[in-house]
Amino acid sequence: MDMSSTLALSPQSTSEQSEDAARSVKPILRFDRVGLEYDGRDVLKELSFSVNRGEVITVLGPSGCGKTTMLNIVAGFLQPSSGIALVNDREIAGPGPDRGVVFQSYALFDWMTVEDNIAFSLRCSGKNRSQQNAVAKDVAKLVGLQGFEKSYPYQLSGGMRQRCGLARVLAANPSVMLMDEPFAAVDVQTRETLQEEILRIKTETKCTIIFITHSIDEAVFLADRIFLMRKGRLGAFDEFTVNLPEPRGSSENRLHPEFLSVREQIYRAMRADAS
Amino acid sequence: MHPNGGKENILKTNDNVKSRRQYWILAFASPLLIFILWVVATSAEWVRPVLLPSPGEVAKSFSDMLLNGYSGVSLFIHLLASLTRVGTAFVFGSILGITIGMLRGRINNVDAIFLIPGEILRPIPPLGLIPLFILWFGIGETSKVLLIFVSVFLIMMVSAQAGTRSCPADSIRAAQTCGANRYQIFRFVVFPSALPQIMTGLRVALGTALSILVAAELLGGDRGVGFIVLDAANFFRTTYVFAGIIVIGIVGLLSDRALAYAGRRIVHWEGRR
Repeated sequence: MDMSSTLALSPQSTSEQSEDAARSVKPILRFDRVGLEYDGRDVLKELSFSVNRGEVITVLGPSGCGKTTMLNIVAGFLQPSSGIALVNDREIAGPGPDRGVVFQSYALFDWMTVEDNIAFSLRCSGKNRSQQNAVAKDVAKLVGLQGFEKSYPYQLSGGMRQRCGLARVLAANPSVMLMDEPFAAVDVQTRETLQEEILRIKTETKCTIIFITHSIDEAVFLADRIFLMRKGRLGAFDEFTVNLPEPRGSSENRLHPEFLSVREQIYRAMRADAS
Repeated sequence: MHPNGGKENILKTNDNVKSRRQYWILAFASPLLIFILWVVATSAEWVRPVLLPSPGEVAKSFSDMLLNGYSGVSLFIHLLASLTRVGTAFVFGSILGITIGMLRGRINNVDAIFLIPGEILRPIPPLGLIPLFILWFGIGETSKVLLIFVSVFLIMMVSAQAGTRSCPADSIRAAQTCGANRYQIFRFVVFPSALPQIMTGLRVALGTALSILVAAELLGGDRGVGFIVLDAANFFRTTYVFAGIIVIGIVGLLSDRALAYAGRRIVHWEGRR
């Protein structure tokens, strides 16, 4: 607040330092009273929030509460019917590589090898073969897919496929990563490993993540902040802040008092809502 | 190679070897059984030879055709004439059918334009078109090729459209978030998604094209395997009818196997997701 008013008063005198400071507090993503009508029915109403660079936001809520709709607006698949949705201070006009999506269904290209899947965004932007392969190799290593570059998705297990889906998004170097229940189809052990990997990758790449899930444990383990959306209260949500110790990806955090306490708060809030 | 480890795969492979062997035994046993029934039925004289000649007589006519040709033209020339007709119609019918079918699958206005004409044309049997085609295009090559072309076109249009429509919405969205433009989405996502159904469509279309061949060669002319069958039937030379039918059947079998093999190589991911 102070920073922006200073800038507004003296636009010429912005030192490099204050520009940096302004950038760090400026949200990377902002919803201002966003609403969406579908078939004459409100799916989302006056939803407002903002997400800072490098934050992990997890979104919890029952089916039909509008969380996937919210994600689809950020991705650019849906246009809001009212309000404004901004990424990097620009209104979202459609899908783009600055907002990658990891799908629950993986949505991999079965006819392409793992490395071609990963490098797809580079291929679309006209990068040559060797540039594509170099990035694919790096990202495959980052997500733990090294050695599988020449495999096809159908030769991989569910967990490995989702690593590939994640790698395809990471290769585009997005500002925001959107994940819609990405681990819903993998077994519990793999799921926990992948959660830890996400936080490791997040630390390495400093990317911003919005992560939809039905699992309270997953939401608490991953999040800096949790949005708990309610059915029938379109646009209204409760917010919980998680202060778990670094390194965030440590599985020990699953037994930390803060983890258990936030989990209980959310559980009680959901129970209260259901009754 | 497989991340799930090897043991399960080895078991599966042994199983596969066994079931594949059984598959091929059955695949060859069924025609053998039909052949034996044919031999028995003719040698026991359950039917008159003019209706169902013995395999020996058919083989004799077949080798006569191989050595001396049919009605003064070698079998090779007949076969070449038929294959040229089927091939031309198949190639052009497929290209046009796939193009329009995919456009219909992607663009609603194109779908609207072709919907009613396409569906009115589709149930009309090719034989019903013969009198019209004679009136419009005469009894030359054009009518014969067009008759087959229409059938191939209609089959490929339907299968390419269905294939295009089968592309999962999430795959298209994934491509969009990778920055793909409309052309790239089509080239790298929609088209490969449609390939399995297109390959199946090609097999159906080729089989249909061969089955229409005989009807197409009703439209006059003195060349072609279909012509042999029709001409021999007119003169009750049943052994030559059978020899001609067997030639068409073998062409069908070989071309279908070739397409199926190519399909498995091209759409290697099909059924393995």
